[in-house]
Amino acid sequence: MSKLDATDIQGIVLRGYNLPFARYLFLEIADAQRGREFIGKLLYRITTGEHWDEGKPEWTLNIAFTHKGLVNLNLPDASLLSFPVEFLQGMKARGEILSDTGENAPEKWDSIWREGRVDIWLAVNSKAKTTLDTLGAELQRVVDETGGAKVVGVQDAGSFWIDGAWSSKEHFGYTDGFGNPDYLGVERDTQPGQGKLLADGGWAPLATGELLLGYADEAGELPVAPIPHLLASNGTFMVYRKLHQNVATFRRYLEEKGKLYAGGKEKLASKFLGRWRDGTPVELSPDAPNAEIVKDKLRNVNFTFGNDSDGTRCPIGAHLRRTNPRDAFGFNGRLVNRRRITRRGLPYGPYVPEDQPVEDSGEHGIIFMALNASLFRQFEFVQQQWVGYGNDARLGNDKDLLLGNHEARDKHMIQGTEDPMNPPFVCGGLPKFVELRGGNYFFLPSMTALRMIAAGTVDPR
Amino acid sequence: MSNINHKTYAMNAITPMKSWKTWIVRAFFLILGAVKPLQKDLVQLSFIHFARWVIIKRSKFPHADSQQPEEKLKYDYLLFFSNFNGTWNQYIDAFSAVLSTGLNLIWHWSEKFPGSVPVTPFKQYIARCQFDTDYYYTAYPYATTNDVKAAHRVQDALDAFEKESARKTAEEFARSYRKFVLAVQCDLGQTGKAPVGT
Amino acid sequence: MANQSGDVYGLTILSPILQDLTAETSHNCAIRMKLASMPGDESSPFAKVSSTHMARLVVMDDVVYVGMPSCEEHLKSQYLVFETNFDGELDEYLTRMAREIPADVDALWQHCWGYPGTKDVAAFIAYMKKCQITTTFYFADVNNHTVQETLTALQTQAAVAEFIERNQGKAAAELQIAFAHFLEKLRKAPPPVPGRPEKGGPPRIETNMKWATRNAANTKQVTPNE
Repeated sequence: MSKLDATDIQGIVLRGYNLPFARYLFLEIADAQRGREFIGKLLYRITTGEHWDEGKPEWTLNIAFTHKGLVNLNLPDASLLSFPVEFLQGMKARGEILSDTGENAPEKWDSIWREGRVDIWLAVNSKAKTTLDTLGAELQRVVDETGGAKVVGVQDAGSFWIDGAWSSKEHFGYTDGFGNPDYLGVERDTQPGQGKLLADGGWAPLATGELLLGYADEAGELPVAPIPHLLASNGTFMVYRKLHQNVATFRRYLEEKGKLYAGGKEKLASKFLGRWRDGTPVELSPDAPNAEIVKDKLRNVNFTFGNDSDGTRCPIGAHLRRTNPRDAFGFNGRLVNRRRITRRGLPYGPYVPEDQPVEDSGEHGIIFMALNASLFRQFEFVQQQWVGYGNDARLGNDKDLLLGNHEARDKHMIQGTEDPMNPPFVCGGLPKFVELRGGNYFFLPSMTALRMIAAGTVDPR
Repeated sequence: MSNINHKTYAMNAITPMKSWKTWIVRAFFLILGAVKPLQKDLVQLSFIHFARWVIIKRSKFPHADSQQPEEKLKYDYLLFFSNFNGTWNQYIDAFSAVLSTGLNLIWHWSEKFPGSVPVTPFKQYIARCQFDTDYYYTAYPYATTNDVKAAHRVQDALDAFEKESARKTAEEFARSYRKFVLAVQCDLGQTGKAPVGT
Repeated sequence: MANQSGDVYGLTILSPILQDLTAETSHNCAIRMKLASMPGDESSPFAKVSSTHMARLVVMDDVVYVGMPSCEEHLKSQYLVFETNFDGELDEYLTRMAREIPADVDALWQHCWGYPGTKDVAAFIAYMKKCQITTTFYFADVNNHTVQETLTALQTQAAVAEFIERNQGKAAAELQIAFAHFLEKLRKAPPPVPGRPEKGGPPRIETNMKWATRNAANTKQVTPNE
């Protein structure tokens, strides 16, 4: 295939910036014309996928729109109606499908999400905290100048500074950031295990159309995309979910169950996720963490579950195995290739070391952001069928321990062996470790599409 | 939604076939029936409880009364009935991804069948040929076929364990029990409500 | 045997529906109205004919026109399609239908050509067989267990999962006693009801979900029919 025009694609789609600070601004559009003017003034600042010859920039800026945002910018009806149904409806309306009920229901969300006020997402990522304020002020100036939009909410997020270095840990203590897929045409440090499985056991990048609109996907078709072609091409869809983490509950649960589990607390934690908290994949090293493997790019994502069909190394219901089953369903992993997502999130709230007290009510959580060409076929499918349910993994109604919206009988089964340090173990009485506090579906347009939107020249033919 | 009863979906589809092609489909089924490996994929996918294909020759539509008008048809018809778990999209996506050869062999002979790959025209064809169920009953609405198979494994393991552990000392019992747990540890998923929506 | 897979029988019946242009409600509408009012759960007539794994009833209005260059054609009658998967022999099943659920059967099939009613079981069976189409290929994933065996197994599965969880970490002697009680209780449990949407297993004790506020007072007995 031809090379991707990286300068037409927003940078955050093609790479995780790995900048430690982030600020997400949420805006409501005042009126279409001034809104377009506002976007027009931002255009030259938006970070694209261009190569960084001089190393990372001080800051990056990206922009995305909810469907309501596009409506408020007066895009033509024919274009607006051609977006996929789930994007049109927005995440709040899809609650039943995503199990965003009970504690995760919109009634519990932050007000900007509950009231559906967000039109635009503006994301600043930076090397230094002060840059967030400088750029924030700059953006506010443009807002005031044009009167095109109003900032209705701000969310800060960022990596933890632990032991003198930036860490990729999140609040439950797990090291995050592994496993984003490889796509054809996207330049990246490829690691074996990130792409799709081949018949000979090797790995290949996924079709570009699993991430970007306008390209063939894994089924050899163009994903459902809005018209005209120029509006859709090189764009993608983003899920944004603010996931509050009940850190106190998690630590207490792990502590209590860790005393009962023969392998100990850390091993138990590894059986929840599928990685030890230092990042070692359980499938490669089920008995102890292994810093060598974590550092080894050729190994830290390179494993399959074919030889572990009864989950005695990595439990069948472990988070990592649920969200990317690899070859666990047979057919050489073909049933999984159209269900992958690219994650770009960051934790929010202050890091609290394990030995310090923490409250569930504290501001601790993760801003979960996922990119995919089809919300319905990718994110929503994984969330509904593999995280909130377990039939494909032959686990009936059992849900993911970490993310599941748990009810009275919910449990996570850890399969074991005769080895007394690796016994079968039921994690019962699962509390809700994670609660949804809001979010929505966004469209991340290409630079071309952005210029068309700003100029008001979207033409659906 | 009358096509669905909790975890199971009742799909009905009818496709026309030129009369001279019907014997080819019958022949293929004879082979499918006889050759176990082809059925292996269906069992591996494990989301169909029961499925059937029924060929109706154009002269063989049931005629139950002399007053009933006789059917005068050009085509033979292939009826398909499936009882499957999961959503409509998930079902067809999976078939298109891994069973396309088998599906093509069966439906190639139906008029205007577009092939099972690529998947979108295939879905459009099915939508055209599918007709909705008016009434659907299942004896185990909260169980998928995976749940049923797991349940039978657990029942068998329990029966065996009960026999084997009778009249044992506490220590011997505990050892047998540990083996029993290992035998059923992959089959303990709870049953319950189906995920909502398609 | 094309209609059979292991111990399960796949019956396909197409009964031509009467056409009466003078009737206030057409026969196929009447059938649809009856079907809409029939419960699909444990009160279903097919729960009574308890050897039924799965059954459906469909009013097939017409054949499908797939578009040019195919020819368009139409059926002269509509058909009541009855697709069922059950344990045992065909004659036995049809006899059960006639004997155990005659009112429902009559209410549906009285709208069909040549229907003799359920009073004369032999005539009923002959009529149904006349409308039967041989299944060309029948696939049954699980074909060696009856409905009752399956329902019992599901009940056992839930009970075993709960036992394993509740007795985790117990000492050998205590475990053995608990298991004996468990078996006794399981054997005495009422046979599960076909068609009922229930999770099975014995009553659970529910604990307050958020551990941060958990206390002994917040326990609630949960019944199985949830």
